[in-house]
Order: sequence, then structure tokens, then C-alpha cells
Amino acid sequence: MSGLQVQLQSVTPIRLDAEFDCGAGELVALVGPSGSGKTSMLRAIAGLWTPADVRGHIRVAGQDWLNTATGVQLSPQQRRAGLVFQHYALFPHMTAHANVALAAGPGWTAADVQNLLSRLGLAALSQRRPVQLSGGQQQRVALARALVRVMPTPQSASDVPDIPNPLPGVLLLDEPFSAVDAPTRQTLYRELAALRQKVSVPMVLVTHDLAEARRLADRVVIVDAGHTLQTGEPARVFASPRNARVAALVGIQNHFAGRFFKDQPGWARLRWTESGASQEAIDLTVVDKNKIDDDTPVTWVLNGEQVDVLADGSTTNQPETGATLLRCRLVEVLALGEISLCTLTPEALTSQTITLNLTTRLLGRLDVKAGGWVQLLIAPGALHIMPVREVG
Amino acid sequence: MDWPAFTVSLTLAALTTLVLLPLGLALARWLAVTAWGGRPLIEALLLLPLLLPPTVIGFYFLVAFGQGSPLGTWLAASGVRLVFTLEGLLLVSVLVNLPFMVQPIQRAFAAVPHSLREAAWVSGLSPWQTFWRIELPLAWPGLLAGMALTVAHTLGEFGVVLMVGGNIEGETRTLSVSLYDKVQGMDLQSAHVMALALVGVSLLALSLVLAFDRVGQRGRALQER
Repeated sequence: MSGLQVQLQSVTPIRLDAEFDCGAGELVALVGPSGSGKTSMLRAIAGLWTPADVRGHIRVAGQDWLNTATGVQLSPQQRRAGLVFQHYALFPHMTAHANVALAAGPGWTAADVQNLLSRLGLAALSQRRPVQLSGGQQQRVALARALVRVMPTPQSASDVPDIPNPLPGVLLLDEPFSAVDAPTRQTLYRELAALRQKVSVPMVLVTHDLAEARRLADRVVIVDAGHTLQTGEPARVFASPRNARVAALVGIQNHFAGRFFKDQPGWARLRWTESGASQEAIDLTVVDKNKIDDDTPVTWVLNGEQVDVLADGSTTNQPETGATLLRCRLVEVLALGEISLCTLTPEALTSQTITLNLTTRLLGRLDVKAGGWVQLLIAPGALHIMPVREVG
Repeated sequence: MDWPAFTVSLTLAALTTLVLLPLGLALARWLAVTAWGGRPLIEALLLLPLLLPPTVIGFYFLVAFGQGSPLGTWLAASGVRLVFTLEGLLLVSVLVNLPFMVQPIQRAFAAVPHSLREAAWVSGLSPWQTFWRIELPLAWPGLLAGMALTVAHTLGEFGVVLMVGGNIEGETRTLSVSLYDKVQGMDLQSAHVMALALVGVSLLALSLVLAFDRVGQRGRALQER
């Protein structure tokens, strides 16, 4: 079994219920708010943190790094974990070269280390100390130091892109891009993508930046309060969060409460109400996938990208089956260049607001300004419905 | 100038520093990283010599090791005499200098970010290698400061020396005690010379301490970037 498998439970000092895996050459992002335990999970893999009452296992390339069933617990020195610390933790009294050489195994010569630094664009800087390097350069040194830890020999990296040799370790990245400016970050993103072509090792990235996770990761693991809530391809997790908490964590807008009623076979009604005792309600037609019982409280998400905006008073010639037409007042328009951030309130449910990113061109064509009226055409496919009760 | 006293002072300062360095280093490193609940008590005990009058320390030393005390009797039977000897002076000097050696070293080790230790461990360095290759090179200004403070303080010690060492020429009469003698004997000319020598050495030591502290701060600033 290649790659990394993690399965950990603990109660003290923090509640932990983590289960995820990461294949060789795969990049998995642990995403969650600060204090959610994602960094603790990373530190547990590296062997820097082990809760006293931990149960479970951490397995890398078929070898147990931790297994409470068999009593195996390797020290950080025995694990081949290349860890890039959040603030890099470079040794300030050593040159860039010495920082990397210190972590390199016996298969590495000083020339090999220099060669690796050159490949990361640090050839001329190898004799500098960390304080003499920019944030991006420090990050590359930290990455090189982590890399040599998972590469037994300099030849471990493949020269042929896309056919890397599997390596016996893991690469762990703890918010590695948080301390550099935006342009540098873009460069580093590209470098990480290029690196993945050459080294086949499980890579686990900890980040609180959803856009970063979406851009870099093959799969994301949503972490909250020590629990891994949902794992999957970024697009999938963002499009269909498993429950309301995941939806909130991935920052989904247009996230509402309601009640689910079964209708004719194959169809259902989503009754959109406000959480209070108001009588106002809107019924939206949705597809019944037989996953939710009749008369169940639900939370649901409106995917703004799948909503059509029509001028007030106009009718569609061929409305999509089951699509609902919703008259809304355009409460606020924030023009951000080509895109305008629009806030809308349904006429029939004035306590709720919908947020849409509309092109400024579309607003011009509809000839509508803040205070005006539009119609939203909401197809069943634009609605994602989740049971209220959280899983896990 | 009382050259025998000068030699005694320098010998005492050198020996105190030499004995105290490994002891202080071990204590300071432990105090810097330990999470043990009793740490404040140990720290208070170490700082006690700073507050207590030297005569109190000297008094208890005489009580513990003097003739008539069980320990003193037992030591005398083994041929070891601590009262009114350089050896005894060295022992009490090590005790009263503990805070001067431990404090700066402890501060220096505490200033080494824990993430550097962890980075060393995941890089494959054992705790012992981490100490020698990462922590010690970063904490050395603290070590030098501790040594300079110990030397300066030992040269300036007076009360304890008088009580424990007596005033034996070439054995326990230090420069500061000799200075006292000269003033008592109205030999102000010699007193001036020795006072000036003590001022000079102390000033030099303090300048070194401050210089090392600057280096240490620069090192810390460097790590925090």
C-alpha cells in the first residue's frame, strides 16, 4: 500500500477524529478555520505531537509510523517527513546550503545539495543566511530542506516529468504561502505544481485559504473542531457540501433554511422560510432524489452561477422544467469592475437576501439600478439541499 | 598593589567560572524548556543569593562546615578543610554566583524558538545533536554574558570572602579584602591602585556583557523575521 493513511482519535488535550489518506504524488489540502486542528494533524504525522490517549494509525508507504494497536510509535527522527513550517523555521546561524545539507541523508554530497538549490533558483544565494533572503527565497530553502528528507538520494527525483519514482516519505506543508506577498505566492504555486511532476510523494497542505486549496489540491479535507468532515475533489466539495457546517466552512453564499416536502413522484417542494415565526414563505420546485424524508427541516444552498436574471415583467418562452420565477428587489450594487456584487431581496420573503455576482454588462442590458426589480429564474439544478443534522 | 591578593582574586574568578559553566549551562537549559510545576521554586532558590546579605550566606556556610558541625568534623577527619581555605571560598563563590551564570544563559535558551528544535528533529537530528548544532550556537552570547558577569561579581565579592575565607595572605585574601585592609591602615595610595583595578575589570566585564547581549538580541530578531 503506497501513500499515506491517517486515522486518529483522541479526547484530550483536544478532541480529534481524523481520517483521510493521500496517494503518492497526490496533494491533499486540510482546510479549516484557525484552531480547527488541521495543524495538529500535520504535526501528528511528523511525530511532533502525539496526544496521550491517541488511538489509530499513521501509515506511510506501507510502514506504520504510529499504530496504537501494535504499540508502534516512531520518533520524528525515524519518520521521513519533510515539513515546511509556517514561518519556515530556518536555522538563522546557518547558510541556505547548510540548512539543507543538515537534513540530507548520507546519499547526498555537498555538490548534490548545491545542485538541488540551483534547480530551485537559489544557486547564487546558497551561501547566504536566512536573514539575507526574501520571504519567497526562504520558502524555497525550507522546501529544499523538506525535500532532501524524503529523497534518500539526489537521483530520487525523476528527470522524466510524469513518471516519478515513489518515495518513502511524506511532504507536509503548514500554511507555506501565508508569509509571502501575492506575486511571490503565484510564482510559488507554479513551482509547487512543477515539483509535483518530479517527486512522487504524498503531499499534505494545511491552509485556511479556500482559493489556494481549490487551486493546488487534488482533494480537500474539510476540518472543523478536530474532525475531518468531508473529503473530496475541491469542485465536488464546494458544489455539494455534505452538511450545513461544511457549507459554512467553505464560505458558500446564499445559504438558507427551509423545509422539504415530497410532491408528485420524482419531485418535491422546498419551502423557503425565515428561521423566525413569520408566515412568509416561498415554494421552490426541486428534484426528489429519495435521500430526504418528507416534511424534513433542511438547509440549502443556491448556486448563484446557475441562476438566470431576467428583466422585471418579462416572461421566458420556454422555462426549464420545474424552474421557479422569483421577483426580487435589487437592494445594493457594488461595482467591482467587470463584476458587480449584487444583493437582492425576494418580494415574497423580504427578510432574506441573495448575493449574486453579475456582470456589469448584464446589469446594463437589464437597465436596472439599486432599488429596481428583476426576476430570478431558479432551476432545480441550482439548488443543493442538505439535512439539518450534521454528520460526524 | 597587593600582587598576592590580585593572584588570589584572579584564581578564584577563573576557577568559579570554570566550575560554574557546565553546572549553570545544564541548569539553565533545563529551566528554559521544562514544563515542570516546581520551576518557580528552583528559580527563586537560584536568585536568593542576590537578595540575601553575604554575611547570611557566610554564616550558614560556617555553621554547615565549621568545626563542631557534623559535616565539618567528618570532612576534617577525611583531611578536607573548607573554612579559611581557597577550596571553601571556591565552593561558596560557586553558590553565590549561580544567578549570575544561570540567568543570562536561561534567557538565551528560552529565546531560541521551539520551532527550530522541531525543525531539527524532523530533519533527523537527535536531541543531543540539536543541542550542539542548533541551540548552543544560538545561545552562546548568553554563555559569554554569564561568564563575564561571574568573573566581575567574583572579583567584587567581599562579605562572604571575609566570613568564609578569613584574611590569609596568598590563600584567601582577595583584592577587595586587601583594599579594605589598606584603607583601615590609612594606606590610601595602594587603596587607590586596587580600587581602580577593580573598577577597570568590572567595567570591562559589563561592557562585554552588554555587547554579547546586543549580539543575542540581533540573533533573536533574526529568528523572528
